[in-house]
Amino acid sequence: MSQENTEETQATETTETFEPKIMAFVCNWCTYAGADLAGTSRMEYRPNVRIIKLPCTGRIDPLFIIKAFENGADGVLVSGCHPGDCHYTAGNYHAKRRWIAFRSLMEFTGIDTRRLQFSWISASEALKWVDLINNVTDEIKALGPFMDFKNLKG
Amino acid sequence: MEKALREKARELLTTGEANVIIGYEWNRRKTRATPAFITKADEVDRLIFNPLCVNNLSIYLTRKNKDILRMGKPAIVAKGCDIKNIVVLISEGQVKREDVVIIGMSCNGVVYKQGLWKGELRPEIMPVKCHNCDVRNPHLTDFVIGDHIDFTPPETPRGMVFDKIAALDAKTPGERWSFWLEEFSRCIKCYACRQACSLCYCERCITEKNVPQWIETSAHQRGNIAWNLVRAMHLAGRCTFCGECERSCPANIKLNLVNQKLVLTVKDAFDFKSGYDEKIHPPMIVFSPDDTENFIK
Amino acid sequence: MKAMYLKKAELGKLISSVQDSGALFVGPVVDAGNVVYKEIGSASELTGDYIIPVTTYKQWVFPQTEVVATFAVTKEGVDLDGVDLDPPDVVVFGARACEAASLASLRSVFTWGEDDEFYTRREDRITVITVGCTAIDDECFCTTVELSPASTTGSDIYLRETTDDEYMAVAVTKKGEAFIKAHHGVFHQKRAAEPELVELKLPEPIKGIKKEKISAWLARTDNYQSELWPRLTRKCFGCGACTFSCPTCHCFDITDEGTAFGGERRKNWDACQFDHFTAHASGHNPRDTQFKRWRNRFMCKFKYYPDKFKTTGCVGCGRCIRVCPVRLDITEVMEEISQISE
Ligand code: SF4
Ligand code: SF4
Ligand code: SF4
Ligand code: SF4
Ligand code: FES
Repeated sequence: MSQENTEETQATETTETFEPKIMAFVCNWCTYAGADLAGTSRMEYRPNVRIIKLPCTGRIDPLFIIKAFENGADGVLVSGCHPGDCHYTAGNYHAKRRWIAFRSLMEFTGIDTRRLQFSWISASEALKWVDLINNVTDEIKALGPFMDFKNLKG
Repeated sequence: MEKALREKARELLTTGEANVIIGYEWNRRKTRATPAFITKADEVDRLIFNPLCVNNLSIYLTRKNKDILRMGKPAIVAKGCDIKNIVVLISEGQVKREDVVIIGMSCNGVVYKQGLWKGELRPEIMPVKCHNCDVRNPHLTDFVIGDHIDFTPPETPRGMVFDKIAALDAKTPGERWSFWLEEFSRCIKCYACRQACSLCYCERCITEKNVPQWIETSAHQRGNIAWNLVRAMHLAGRCTFCGECERSCPANIKLNLVNQKLVLTVKDAFDFKSGYDEKIHPPMIVFSPDDTENFIK
Repeated sequence: MKAMYLKKAELGKLISSVQDSGALFVGPVVDAGNVVYKEIGSASELTGDYIIPVTTYKQWVFPQTEVVATFAVTKEGVDLDGVDLDPPDVVVFGARACEAASLASLRSVFTWGEDDEFYTRREDRITVITVGCTAIDDECFCTTVELSPASTTGSDIYLRETTDDEYMAVAVTKKGEAFIKAHHGVFHQKRAAEPELVELKLPEPIKGIKKEKISAWLARTDNYQSELWPRLTRKCFGCGACTFSCPTCHCFDITDEGTAFGGERRKNWDACQFDHFTAHASGHNPRDTQFKRWRNRFMCKFKYYPDKFKTTGCVGCGRCIRVCPVRLDITEVMEEISQISE
């Protein structure tokens, strides 16, 4: 989190060579299993995403997302079971309410919502996962490094 | 009005229906109203009520103020907007309805620019919440003091806060970001906003959790942004727009804007407004399978 | 050194001259509706229309947040690096007499036993230019705590406004003298006739308050348990705004920020009004209710400070009264204690 690091990132990362860091917060039972299936099926997709597995989308505190941006994420992806499929019955319904409010707050504060994406991906949707990661990576790559947060004075 | 208030207070204390009246009194110079805790019937004449009584006294019903809870059963002098917070406290299981006597005050508005107060209410010195108030006749009370007030708030809420929200919404994300960066950079991390809010009743705030330190306590941009976003988020679906946080902020940060933005969001998305019905669960702890959004892929 | 004069219209010249010397120029400006001290670039940013800025200039000697060490976690262990502070010269213009007196108070704390060089090195390089008050408000009470708009304690240069839009400048300290010499192009000696000074405005000392009586009452340990404390101060909800705007409050917290790989150790403002200020790791909190925290603030100003140091704990600037959302007025407590103390 030192100052030098940030400056280095700024100096060396031009849009062509820039590889975004994307944090994905996913639930254990669906999206993580889906990503796992993509792996075991040897599907290839962009290597830019770092996955953090949580028991359920209901466990994803908006603070995690802020923390990810603070620590240099260029984009954040949040994903879990389709409505109705939550392993804990309703965790994702609660999460959805929270995201509606949080996304609106982020949008209002001026955070580009393209950097904060949400999805439902089931354990069998390995392909959807692969497509999503590829698309999100391309989209964020085009946006460039998330300087708004990286430039924050610490 | 004060006479009726004092009489009611005297009666409550004498009969033992309440052990302490949480109300307002004059400061020494009689220039400002300040919270008062009256426990004896012969002190009720200290109680006052006028447009300088801005404080939302519901803060003293929360577990953050244990010594006040220990004073016994409270009767609280509350304007409609203050009652909204009591409603939320009840709906969140923080206060039992039967444990508090609510003395509702009919109210024509309060004064924020108190330096300009010349003994007369004028629109320019009143906060936006008063111009849009739909609870001038308090809604959840044991007693109402004061006459019925005829006032219909505008259909769509009006005033600086709403104009500013619309103006910000019309800007680019980059412009909004600069605006908030500038605002939040002024934050000095005193947490007055949190302390002033009766709905911030956690005894250990997330910002005080330091293993790990979720929110950096330093008053630098990074820490300030995290704090202010999280504070607003924790009030989503709960904030009643009482304005105490912004009034208390020594750095004049426009907290009402973020709060009201979330009030509007919650209204649009879940058709819910906090502070009206103590029997309904707050929107963030329930859900409906029919909740709609347009951003989850 | 004889009194010198400075034309208000030439403040811009002074600012450039200060900036050319490599120093920061800090003065009162309007920011988001508040008058606050801020580093400024030109005279047009300055405001003269204020009683006292809502924030203090202590942030230039004791910043809200400052890095005191950095660390990196390596395979071998932790590399710790100290910070060898080399602060800039800072010129504070437009201070008030009450606040100027507070630097000595801060210094006595930060040099008590061990020197805190993060403070002393900064303070050594600050020049305080005070302007005598020609306006006051209800909350000012310097004269009740033995100060006045005419006090020069803590100022390096003391300015009085003249009726012909100038300042009369008197160097109070060597630092002040050196400053006037260094910027001699801006200061000038007066013409034949003595200029007329704008009268200072002094707040009426609050009659009911007697400082000795307060000290005597506080000295009696049983009064620590007096019913007065909860009665007068339970309305405080611990927002800490008073402490953060007080020029003599000095408490700080040390906190580490960073990642698993490294980060920094910071010294951040803290406040005795916060409920976790005295929380022990065991969970016990000796100041478990708000009035006990407020009592500490009062004791700090009127007992601990005077007992330990020669300097004053409260300079009567009134900031804590203006900023308090529940209008807890320290002078009301002072007055009541003076009255019950025999
Ligand atoms: S009251 Fe204002 S300055 Fe204090 S922590 Fe809240 S936003 Fe920051
Ligand atoms: S967040 Fe502010 S406006 Fe909302 S309830 Fe709390 S103090 Fe009132
Ligand atoms: S205690 Fe209040 S009046 Fe005294 S110096 Fe501090 S802020 Fe000023
Ligand atoms: S400003 Fe007032 S409410 Fe806040 S801590 Fe100080 S005395 Fe208490
Ligand atoms: S378990 Fe997947 S969302 Fe709840």
